[in-house]
Amino acid sequence: MPPADRFAAARPASEGSPVEPPPVDLAVMIGSLRLPNPILVASGTFGYAREMAGYVDLARLGGIVPKTITPLPRKGNVPWRTVETSAGLLNSIGLDNDGIDAFLQAQLPFLLGCGAPVIVSIAGANQREFVQLADRLEGVPGIAGLELNISCPNVSHGVDLGTDPELCRSVVAGVRGVTRLPVIAKLTPNVTDIASIARGARDGGADALTLINTCQGMAVDWRRRRPMLGNGIGGLSGPAIKPIALRCVYQVRKAVDLPIIGVGGIMTIDDCMEFFVTGATAVQIGTANFAEPIASMRLLEALPKALAEIGATCMADLIGTLRPPAGAAVPAPPPPPGSPPHAA
Amino acid sequence: MHLWETATRPVPSPAEPACNDSTPRYLTARIVAHRQIAAATFRIRLDCPEIATQALPGQFAMLRIPDRLDPLLARPLAVYDSFSAPEGDAVQGPPSQRRYVDFVYVVHGKFTTALKEIPAGENLIVWGPLGNGFVAIPAVEHLVLVAGGIGQTALLALGKEQCGRASYGLPPRSRPTSRVTLCWGARTAAAFGDVADFSQAGIDVHLATLDGSAGQQGTVIDLLNTLEPDWNSPESRHVACCGPEGMMEAVAAWTAGRRIGCHVSLEAPMACGIGICFTCVARVREAASGASPDEPPAWDYRRTCVEGPIFSAASIEW
Repeated sequence: MPPADRFAAARPASEGSPVEPPPVDLAVMIGSLRLPNPILVASGTFGYAREMAGYVDLARLGGIVPKTITPLPRKGNVPWRTVETSAGLLNSIGLDNDGIDAFLQAQLPFLLGCGAPVIVSIAGANQREFVQLADRLEGVPGIAGLELNISCPNVSHGVDLGTDPELCRSVVAGVRGVTRLPVIAKLTPNVTDIASIARGARDGGADALTLINTCQGMAVDWRRRRPMLGNGIGGLSGPAIKPIALRCVYQVRKAVDLPIIGVGGIMTIDDCMEFFVTGATAVQIGTANFAEPIASMRLLEALPKALAEIGATCMADLIGTLRPPAGAAVPAPPPPPGSPPHAA
Repeated sequence: MHLWETATRPVPSPAEPACNDSTPRYLTARIVAHRQIAAATFRIRLDCPEIATQALPGQFAMLRIPDRLDPLLARPLAVYDSFSAPEGDAVQGPPSQRRYVDFVYVVHGKFTTALKEIPAGENLIVWGPLGNGFVAIPAVEHLVLVAGGIGQTALLALGKEQCGRASYGLPPRSRPTSRVTLCWGARTAAAFGDVADFSQAGIDVHLATLDGSAGQQGTVIDLLNTLEPDWNSPESRHVACCGPEGMMEAVAAWTAGRRIGCHVSLEAPMACGIGICFTCVARVREAASGASPDEPPAWDYRRTCVEGPIFSAASIEW
């Protein structure tokens, strides 16, 4: 790899101060998987890493989750495939990929040479396809883990598997049965009770959970009276969904005792810290990679300083340390008679 | 090192090199000039030697307004031209001495509406140069540039290079010069800005407007039909085209019917510009398919940002 200071010019002065922060241990454990730091890049937002080699010092990443692979090549959805919305990005890429054979031959060798843990994201149309993919990857040396994309909103079966606790359990259990790799289930927020889906993943033997995939959404061109996405609806990502992602981490953290990788709208180091405090052991940077290809490096530079700010010397000092809402223990006084009902 | 060389897309055929030797950079660049040049068209000059020295005709860069979540993403803009002085267009110099890069854009949506308000002296985030650029234009006697709307922005540097008025790239690439004609169509006269950039470079400029307010009334196809009888044989001609998709499809059909070679610069929405989001795909025909007239050519989605934006018009499944 080229020297790290190659990226110095791209570093904003506000984050990644040249002043040496106090030593902090950034390593985290995702089940049995040790990550050198908690800043990962999210599937579908980082290509197959080689596209990013000129912008990011890949070896410094806490982990790389390359674009989801399927058993067979998929052309993906009809353009338009993305539309920018208010502080968000709506996409319906449709798992455009060349299939697992091409991945193993053409992409994985480069990924494994990056120097960062590689968590391979897989998606099947059903449990059998997930198992088939996991089986192909079992025994491939160098892979750090599997992320099960049971939550892509842009393929018809993806959401189904991730919206039913029992289907979720069966997919995870099937994969668990054929692999020794850490199994991470990536869940969709497009459910009424995400905790129940998380329990399904846990019962199937998941080692960790990634929360969340995109939120289903839509953009409309009213003058043409058409949806703007070629697929009609898509998945929303970016800062607009961060509150939803935090809420999911919060609810799942209380429901299951599994490590959580938080993802959804992270742009700043404050966003990262919010996820850690809420209960995420690590985070994935997604849409920010599009808006700012160096985002993951900027956040990684800023993390030790943010930890030092609260006197933390390791990630465990931070993860899941969220307190109850201020004043939560005090019952709210009854509203005075005749006052309008509260907008909750 | 060239970043895209190692990408595992299908290997391009020798006739269609999809790569060049520029190295894209992520930068903060200061705006040194920003002015309106037509009804809704603006021209912005950035202090950005990394792009100014390297960019080839037909390449683009991603521009973003710093510290804003709305608009969130960068937008792709074609590199219009590059210069060695912060003001004026006369001082261009060799590519190695260039420091300033110009982009021309039409105010159309959220990003461009915001961008036009950013004054000189402020900074933008920019990464580039990106895309393949015009690398496969054969040596011909007559290069015809066909622009629609704001599509001229991708064509000026190519025209200047082909006229022998400027060179681009590090090291500067050399191309055989030829006669160059620009056929530029727009809705109305108010859409044309800085036409003199083309005429002063020695390019023979012809305009068309749908409302007849400038040049010939009609489309660029009407204009091409008017001019063609005075031109030499189709074999000695090549067309480079950029504009709205329907217009490019029409030009592609016009050239195909006359067996004139044609390259198009596709304008696709992009989220990243660097090949990671798979937004900007175009339907590109597989090289080996469609040999038999009975068999429709097979196609696959290709990323406009890394495999384009310049494609042979014949390879596009419109």
